[in-house]
Amino acid sequence: MQTLLEEDARGVAPYLTAGDGGLETTLAVLEALDAGGASCIELGIPFSDPIADGPVLQAASQRALDAGTTLSAALEMLAEFRSRGCTVPVAIMSYANPLHARGWAGAARAVADAGGDALIVPDLPVEEGSAMAAAAGEAGLCPIFFASPTSGDERISRAASESRGFLYVVGRTGITGARTSFDEGVQSFLKRAESLSSIPLGVGFGISTCDDVREAVRHARLAIVGTALVQRLHEAGPDGANEAASLFLAELMTGVAA
Amino acid sequence: MKGDGRFGEFGGVFAPETLMAPLGNLEEAWMNARKDSTFQDELAALLRDYAGRPTPLTLTGRMSKELGLELWLKREDLLHTGAHKLNNTLGQCLLAKKMGKTRILAETGAGQHGVATATACALLDLECVVYMGEVDAARQKLNLLRMGLLGARVETVSHGQATLKDAINEALRAWVTDPDAHYLLGSALGPHPFPSMVAEFQSVIGTEARAQFQDQAGGLPDLVVACVGGGSNSIGIFRGFVDDGQVELVGVEAGGEGVETGRHAARFSGGSPGILHGCFSYLLQDEDGQVLPTHSVSAGLDYPAVGPEHAWLEGLGRSRYETAGDAEALDAFHSLSRLEGILPALESSHALAWVRRESASLTGKRVLVNLSGRGDKDLDTVLAEEGKK
Repeated sequence: MQTLLEEDARGVAPYLTAGDGGLETTLAVLEALDAGGASCIELGIPFSDPIADGPVLQAASQRALDAGTTLSAALEMLAEFRSRGCTVPVAIMSYANPLHARGWAGAARAVADAGGDALIVPDLPVEEGSAMAAAAGEAGLCPIFFASPTSGDERISRAASESRGFLYVVGRTGITGARTSFDEGVQSFLKRAESLSSIPLGVGFGISTCDDVREAVRHARLAIVGTALVQRLHEAGPDGANEAASLFLAELMTGVAA
Repeated sequence: MKGDGRFGEFGGVFAPETLMAPLGNLEEAWMNARKDSTFQDELAALLRDYAGRPTPLTLTGRMSKELGLELWLKREDLLHTGAHKLNNTLGQCLLAKKMGKTRILAETGAGQHGVATATACALLDLECVVYMGEVDAARQKLNLLRMGLLGARVETVSHGQATLKDAINEALRAWVTDPDAHYLLGSALGPHPFPSMVAEFQSVIGTEARAQFQDQAGGLPDLVVACVGGGSNSIGIFRGFVDDGQVELVGVEAGGEGVETGRHAARFSGGSPGILHGCFSYLLQDEDGQVLPTHSVSAGLDYPAVGPEHAWLEGLGRSRYETAGDAEALDAFHSLSRLEGILPALESSHALAWVRRESASLTGKRVLVNLSGRGDKDLDTVLAEEGKK
């Protein structure tokens, strides 16, 4: 992941919930996203109480849990993805408790062994993140922390310096899914984050169209698209999910090329 | 933030980044208010002249005799709105006012915290939105209606188990979306500074009870017993006695249909340390770290995690945690009603139930129970449970 981001390219980072529609579907979608040129993929581990997520990702999480998805099963699927020669960087995104239940060190090793590249934990601010960051570093993973419009300059600098790979920037206050309109306020926040961060930015929350992507990559290297993709995958169903993923990724990527 | 919010290894601040600034502002405002005599005087006046503090300490007659011990009750059921919750909501609403907040978000389980929040918001002219699980809204209909009459907007939550846990999820999401609002958490849990702040607002119970006990009974009780959901009424009374090493502190969790059935909310005997709703404490979870469903006849105890200060006190051996089941709690409800003319909340009935069950080993002891709320809100549940027999 670090190598990827050392190049100056800008791109799209799709998010999907592991096991939504079954892990076979997730694997097929990962392959489609890799083939389609995703810059990085965020693979979400489902959790019973996703407090940072809106209704679409809550429902995806619940469907995945109902289908019996666990961290271990998701990582087995990731290992299979790697065994098929797919090299796109993959960040595991999980709420703190499923990782903590396994122990930070054990969880980080398992993610690395399966071929994951980074850990993103939405309920782990830098104050509580040292054990995760140390475990990630030990396992060769990038720990990724967050910056939000409510974060002061000092917090943003600290989150950036504790992160590797990229700093996850939440475009606006709120949960996933509600639309971000890239007005002047958002752009000036992204500019502020860019100037404070020693590493590239990935901006997420509410990015759903190629126009959003175009706006997002003005100051960020990655435009992270979650809810809009998860909704499309769900609507397409297990048989059509990989094709839906390819089409949507291609559409979003026009925002980068333009 | 200045503090780390730790009680030993427990507690902390496991919150999304967007909430870190509001939590930091809240911590700062709270640290200032603690030292501000104007704030403390205003709060004391509200508690005395509006809420009805001090609440009485009652020595039961017939029930003491039946159990062969001295059963003393700290009468939080007599506080305005019918439970201890108002101690915290008046404190936090006054603090929110000082911070220039105009809008309050809250969750509620049994509805007592929602009613207490709506009450304080009406009094202090604050906009109020309360999140409540659909299941709880159905079993605590009276409180739902009360909140509406007090001018609060109630948002019912249908996902998950549609109980307290899910109401907190939704309230946290609302706060992430509107970080300028004040989130008025109702129990001594969640991210720092809530566990310390709520416990301190509730410690008025223990401070009063200790002085009243010395005055009315002389000396100190042998045991202090309180029910533990999130843990605010219990930590409130425990704080008055925690430095008195000879006073045993007993928290009673919801045993539901029995810890062995999996249908319970006994975090200490059935759970393990984990992270939920911003803090690290005992949690009912599976081996993959997913939060497990809970069950209790009492909505206020039906929650999968426990406040971090309890986890810390338990680890130190200063307090211990027992369980009482649905059926025992209902028996205790009837017993106190018949013998003393007091309808206890089903939550508080769990503390009474443990004392009744253990009475043989407590003969002659002076036992102080925190009667955290009144049972009027529970009549539908009690009658429905009677119908099942």
